[in-house]
Amino acid sequence: MRRTLTGGLAALALLALPAFADTAAEPGEAWTPTTFNLDNGMQVVVIPDHRAPVVTHMVWYKVGAVDEAPGKSGIAHLFEHVMFQETDDLAPGDFDKIVSRNGGQSNAFTSWDYTAYYERVAKDQLGVMMGLEAERMTDLVINDDPEGPFISERDVVKEERRQRIDNNPGVILREQVLSKLWAGHPYEITVIGKMEEVAALTPEDGLAFYHEYYSPENAILVVAGDVTEDEVRALAEEHYGPKQPTGTAHGERKWQSVPLLAETETLTYSDPKVRQPQWSRYYSGVSQIRSPREALALDVGLEVLGGGMTSRLYQSLVEGQQLAIDVGSYAWTDLHDEGPAVITASPVPGVSMDDLETAVMAEVEKVLEEGFTESEVIRARNSLAASAIYARDSQTTLANVFGSTLAIGGTIGDVLAYPDEMKSITPEEAIAAVRTVFGADRHYIEAHLLPAAEEDASE
Amino acid sequence: MKTRLVSTLILAGCLSACAQFQNAPLVEPEALVAVEPALEVTVHSGDFAEIQQFVTPGGASVWLVSEPSIPILSVEMAWKGGEAADPDGLEGLAEAVVYHMNEGAGDLDSLAYQTRMEELNMSFGCSSSNNWTTCSASMLTENAGEAMDLVASSFSAPRFDEGPFERFRREQEVGLETREASASYLAWRAKSQALYPDHPYAREKSAESIAALTPELAREHLRKLMVKDRLLVTAVGAVTPEELAPMIDKVIADLPDSSDLPETPEIAFPALDAPATIVVDLPQPQTLVQFTGPGLKREDPDFFPAYVLNYTYGGGGFDSRLMQTLRVQQGLTYGVYTSVNPGEYYSTWGGAGQTKNESAGAFIEGVKIEMQDFVDNGMTEEELADAKAYLTGSYPLGFDSNAKIASQMMGVRQDEMGIDYFDRRNSLVNAVTLDDINRIAKEYLDPSKSLFIAVGMPEGIETAEDAAAEDTAAE
Repeated sequence: MRRTLTGGLAALALLALPAFADTAAEPGEAWTPTTFNLDNGMQVVVIPDHRAPVVTHMVWYKVGAVDEAPGKSGIAHLFEHVMFQETDDLAPGDFDKIVSRNGGQSNAFTSWDYTAYYERVAKDQLGVMMGLEAERMTDLVINDDPEGPFISERDVVKEERRQRIDNNPGVILREQVLSKLWAGHPYEITVIGKMEEVAALTPEDGLAFYHEYYSPENAILVVAGDVTEDEVRALAEEHYGPKQPTGTAHGERKWQSVPLLAETETLTYSDPKVRQPQWSRYYSGVSQIRSPREALALDVGLEVLGGGMTSRLYQSLVEGQQLAIDVGSYAWTDLHDEGPAVITASPVPGVSMDDLETAVMAEVEKVLEEGFTESEVIRARNSLAASAIYARDSQTTLANVFGSTLAIGGTIGDVLAYPDEMKSITPEEAIAAVRTVFGADRHYIEAHLLPAAEEDASE
Repeated sequence: MKTRLVSTLILAGCLSACAQFQNAPLVEPEALVAVEPALEVTVHSGDFAEIQQFVTPGGASVWLVSEPSIPILSVEMAWKGGEAADPDGLEGLAEAVVYHMNEGAGDLDSLAYQTRMEELNMSFGCSSSNNWTTCSASMLTENAGEAMDLVASSFSAPRFDEGPFERFRREQEVGLETREASASYLAWRAKSQALYPDHPYAREKSAESIAALTPELAREHLRKLMVKDRLLVTAVGAVTPEELAPMIDKVIADLPDSSDLPETPEIAFPALDAPATIVVDLPQPQTLVQFTGPGLKREDPDFFPAYVLNYTYGGGGFDSRLMQTLRVQQGLTYGVYTSVNPGEYYSTWGGAGQTKNESAGAFIEGVKIEMQDFVDNGMTEEELADAKAYLTGSYPLGFDSNAKIASQMMGVRQDEMGIDYFDRRNSLVNAVTLDDINRIAKEYLDPSKSLFIAVGMPEGIETAEDAAAEDTAAE
C-alpha cells in the first residue's frame, strides 16, 4: 500500500529478490537498460519493455533511515509521506488527484538505504508524471500548522507502525533482535522509527531533512516500459533538466561496516497471540556491495542448507525426524551494510525449544563438516540465476532492481552480470561462506517466540 | 474476429525465443494416411491482447496469448467446484488434494519431484477456494516440454504418499491453533456465523475432519474435482497454439470426462436492521474493523454503477471519501478500503481498516457517517468524472505482464464475461450515470443494512450486550 517502507521489519519482498538479469543478456538486447546523466547530475536509466503501452516512472533518492540524526528516527519515512502534501504550485491533495485523473497509480517506499517514489501510467502521460516529481524535488512546502497535514500524517505513521509491527509478536521480537545485532550502527532502529521519536518529529525536522538530501544530483530517474532512450532523454531534459542543485544538499551517507557480534545472547518474547513457537538464530552476515563474491556464495550455501523443501534442513528436520513443522535459512545480503544470516525453525507440537535447537544445530554441524555435493550447489545457483529471467515479466520489478542497486552504489553492470556470477559460484565457495558465518568462533543472537504462559493467557 | 488454420500463421510473431520449436514438423505430409486434424484457432484481436482460442484434440478449451519477447510460459488451469463440495465431516478434503499435486507422481516421490522442478527451474502448484480448484505452472520455454511432462504426471499418476500426507495433517493441526490468533480469520468466522451459519461456506476444518482425511479419499476426490468438461485453460508465453495443445493434452489424458458435485445453494444477504457491532476479543494494540453489506452479481445491470460508486466510496485509495476522512483528515488509520464482491452464490459489498483500539468507536462512526452521506446526498458530477477518468485511464496497467494477462483472462472465463470483455469494459464504465449511482447508493450503502465486526480490544463500541443492559436499565 502506498507510502510504505521496505527493509528490515517491513516487507522484505523487494530486498529478498536477488538482483537480476537474463542469463543470456547481451548488451544491445531489446530489454537491456541504457543510462546517461543530465547536466545537473541526475542519473537517468531507461529499461525498454514494449509489450504494453505502459510505463513505470521512478525517482530514487540516495537517502534513507540510515541517514537520520540521533533522536529523529522515522524522519526519512514520515518525510516520504509529506512529499505527497503540498508544493509551491500544488495544493494539498493535488498530487494524488492529478495522477489519478490521468489514469496513474503512485506510491513510495523508504528503506534504510534509499527512498523511492513512483508512478505507473499510460505512456502518453509520462511527461505529466515527470512534471509532478520535478516539482516536489525542490519546491515542497511543509506547513507548520499544528492542525496541518504534517501532524495528521504523523498520526497515520503511528497507525502504520502499530499495523506493521506492534500487532505482530513475531515482528516485535525481530525488531528487538535486530537492534542488538546492529547495536551502534544506524540500522539498529527500524525504518519506521521508534514510536516516541516519531511522535516528537516536527515540521522543522522535515524541512531540515529535505534541504539536506533532496536535490537532482542525489536522485536517480528510472523509466521502465514502452519508451525509448531518446523519448526519455527529451522529457527528462524538459522537466528535470532545469532543476539546479539546491546547494544545501550533500551526498554523504552514514553507512559504516557492521562489526561482528561480540557476545551471544538469547531474547525471549511471549505473547497470548503466539500460538506456534518459533526458534531463530541471527548471525553476522555479509553484504553484496561490500563483499560481492562472498554474498553470492552465502546465498547459494543457505539455499542448499535451508532454502526450501529439498534443502538439507527441511529433509532432516521436517521430513526425516519430524521435529519441525518448518525450518529454513536465509541471509539479508542486499543491504549496503552487513545484515544477518538466519537459521529458523518452528517445532511440531510437543517438541521443546531445547530439543528443536539441538536437532537443528546438529544437522547444521553435520552439513558444515561434510560439505555440499556438486549437484545440489548447481541446482541452487541455477534457481537463483533463473529468477532473473522470470523477473523480466514485470517492468516494476526491473525498475526496482536497477534503481535499488544504483541507489546503494552498485552499477547496471552488476545487475547484468548477476546470473553469470551466480552460476560461477563453486561448491567450495558456497560451503566456505556458510562455514564462516556459522563458525564456532562466531557469536549470535538467539530468539525464542513463545505463547503466553498459562496464567497470562486470559489477559 | 477471424478464424484460421494452423499452417497459416504458425510461428507468426515468434522470434528467437521460440526458435527451438521451428524445426518441428508442423503438419503431417498429406501423403500419410493418418492426417492429424489441423487445430482450429480463433483469433480475437482485442485492444489489450490478441487472444487465440482453441479446443485441443483431447478436448481442453484454451485461451492463449503468444508473447515471444520473454522466454517463459505460464499456464493456468481451473475447474469449477472447490471446497464447498467437501463432504460433511471431511472439511479440508479439497485442500488435501491440491496440497499433494506437487508432492510426487509416477516414479518420483516428493523429494524427487521437488528436485526435478528445481532442475527445470519451473514452478507448479494447485490451490482451492470455495468454488474453484486451480493449478498454475510457470516454466522456461527452453524446457517447456519436460516441464509440462512433469505436470502431466501429477494428473495421470498422482501418489498421495503417506509421508507428505502426514506432513499435511501436522501443518493443518498447527493451522487450527494459529488461526485463533488471526484477526482476519476471527472476523471471517464471526461474519459467516452471523450471515450464513448453515451454508457450506460457513463450514470449517476441525481436528476431527482433518483426522478423517485419508490418501485414498483424496485420490478419489481428485477425480471428482479435476475433470475434462469443467476445465478452463489460459496461457501466456513464448509458445504457439500448436506447440501448447499437445502439452495440455498430456495433462488431461487420464482425467474423467465429467463428475457430479453437489450444488452450492445461493445465499440471500439477510435483511439487517442496524445490528449491534460484533466484537471479537484479540489482545493487540489495534482493532480490525470489517463491514459487510449486500452486494450485486456480476451480471446485474447495476454492477457497473456500483463498481464506479465504490471507487469514490472506498475503492479509490486517496480518491475515496473513506480514505480522505478517516486517514487524511482524522489520522485514524493507515488505510481503509472497500470492494464490491460479486459471486455466483453470494455477493457482498464492504470493506475494512485498522485503527488503534482507543479510536475503534470513532472509526466505525466515521464509516457510518460517510455511508449515510452517500444515501442522503449521493455523489457529485465531479466525483463521477474523476472516478471514470481513473478507472478507464488506468485499465491498461492491468495488462503489462504475462502473469497479469493470464490471470485477467482466467477471470473473464470464470465469470463468463465473453472474449471481448476487455474491449467493452471501459465503455461500460463510461456509460454509468449519476442517477444510477445515486439510486444504488440508497439501495446498498445504508449503514443499518451492514454488519460491523471489530476484532481487537476495541473501545467506544456499543455491543449487543451493552444494548441489552441499557434496555434492562430503562425498564
